[in-house]
Amino acid sequence: MKRTFDTGNAAITEGAILAGCRLFSGYPITPATEIAENMSRRLPQVGGFYLQAEDENAALHICNGGSIGGLKAMTATSGPGFILFADPFGWAVSSEIPVVIVNSQRVGPVSGITGAPGQGEFYFSRYLTHGGNYETIVLAPNSVQEAFCLTVRAFYLAERFRTPVTVLADQMVTDGWETLIIPETDEEFRGMGLESVPRRIHPGPEFYPASDAIDIPPVVLGHNTGAACSDWTPTDRGHDTEDVTWQHKHAWRLIHKIRNHRELIDESETWFLEDDPEIILVAYGTPSRVVQSAVRAARKEGLKVGGIRPISLWPFQDALFSRKASYLTVELNWDGQLVREVQRAAAPGSSVHFWGRCGELPSVRELLAAVRRLKEGKALERDGWRTEAW
Amino acid sequence: MAERIEILISGFGGQGVVRIGQILGQAAVYEGLFTTMLISHGTETRGGYVRSQLVISDEFIDSPVVERPDYFCAFSAIAYGMFKVLCTPQSLILHNPDLVTPDSALSARHWAIRAESLAERELGNAVFANVIFLGALSSKLKSISSENLVRALQDRLPPRYHEQNLRALELGRSL
Repeated sequence: MKRTFDTGNAAITEGAILAGCRLFSGYPITPATEIAENMSRRLPQVGGFYLQAEDENAALHICNGGSIGGLKAMTATSGPGFILFADPFGWAVSSEIPVVIVNSQRVGPVSGITGAPGQGEFYFSRYLTHGGNYETIVLAPNSVQEAFCLTVRAFYLAERFRTPVTVLADQMVTDGWETLIIPETDEEFRGMGLESVPRRIHPGPEFYPASDAIDIPPVVLGHNTGAACSDWTPTDRGHDTEDVTWQHKHAWRLIHKIRNHRELIDESETWFLEDDPEIILVAYGTPSRVVQSAVRAARKEGLKVGGIRPISLWPFQDALFSRKASYLTVELNWDGQLVREVQRAAAPGSSVHFWGRCGELPSVRELLAAVRRLKEGKALERDGWRTEAW
Repeated sequence: MAERIEILISGFGGQGVVRIGQILGQAAVYEGLFTTMLISHGTETRGGYVRSQLVISDEFIDSPVVERPDYFCAFSAIAYGMFKVLCTPQSLILHNPDLVTPDSALSARHWAIRAESLAERELGNAVFANVIFLGALSSKLKSISSENLVRALQDRLPPRYHEQNLRALELGRSL
């Protein structure tokens, strides 16, 4: 094991290299620029390719092309670049191209604030392209170490499910420095609970079956079948069609190959859920670290508080919210995003509340004050325009 | 009982706010401790606002937020003005009195270090001021040995600058 002090950007780079990534294409953007920098240095050392694109739209197109060519590929960006993925992301979803996307969320909308964290792409990461008719996988690390592990996992899931997988980080994870442990042997890699699937090649000649089956190798151009890269609806041979019957079969596969294998995707961390919590704090990414401290501090005060941290964000884990309670989501945005999903999933009779801010993490003190107000049945209204309204 | 040390370093881009956090954090990792450092910054490479929030602990760190700094290195009057409110009577604020005027209403302890002029006089360049601050700060941290601090500094800086930075570190530690 190599024990270092490094950034989330470095962790993501090393995770990708160990997972077998051999193509990176991207466009520099704070706070994910270091991923591109690190990849441009690291990939040539392992026989891989780094290609700077003219913009993010081109970057993900290049990654898709590289993946169809047989390489594991990744791109990384922040919100203003993430929006340009809409087109190539849809192509990767529909043509079932394994590819890994990293988005380090900063403050938005548009350029917003560069060097400060936000969480504005919770829903956007789910609906990154148009047309619906698909399910997607999004993973959210809350530490440098987890950024490493979830990058490895993203490649693993992308290969097994033939789909783009998004690592939805935030500025504090990618720019932040922390103790980072990197395995140096296969045994250490497995010992850390990490898994990897080598790139395999679709045997052809048929395209993918109209089923929810996973672990079917992705199509690689020049091998067995050429039907791979058209963005039209495919028949079972991968030929273009405008027949709605084939479209239905295609959409069913895109949705249910993911929804029917939730046991491979769902991941979460919880605190004091079995200890009769009345108030449950919910957060993903860096704010969840503060939530963890706040839950512990609340318990020390004798308050019946618990915590939930979804690690896989999409598909959303409704089952985590089956307990009737008062839920408080803690998010790095002012408009409230995660809170809407929790409100939808929460057990009947629950109340759902929102604590939001952008650009700065909350403090334990602030969260404890919110918990006390909830316990007293008071609204979380704060000064002036800082209200609970969402 | 876990010991959690919170350190806040803030100033302008180019003053070495992130660099000294990197060295200190790396030294803490060499000590086998857990370390987190959050970085906040503006768009500019130099001259913009920068803040490092460093937490060192002998157990896993959940919240990485510095809420009550044990040590605050204020490299500019603006940084001092922004974050002095977080300080408690136990906090120690390291500052350069040529740049920062202490707030007499504050109960925190202040330690005045004329690091820029000291660096210019002893090392011929004010750029070493941040490592003088690092030396001074590290002399208060019992959990980090000077051997590991030197090792971390050598890891994080190019070899051609080692000699002068090690002298700056020693200057700081002897204050």
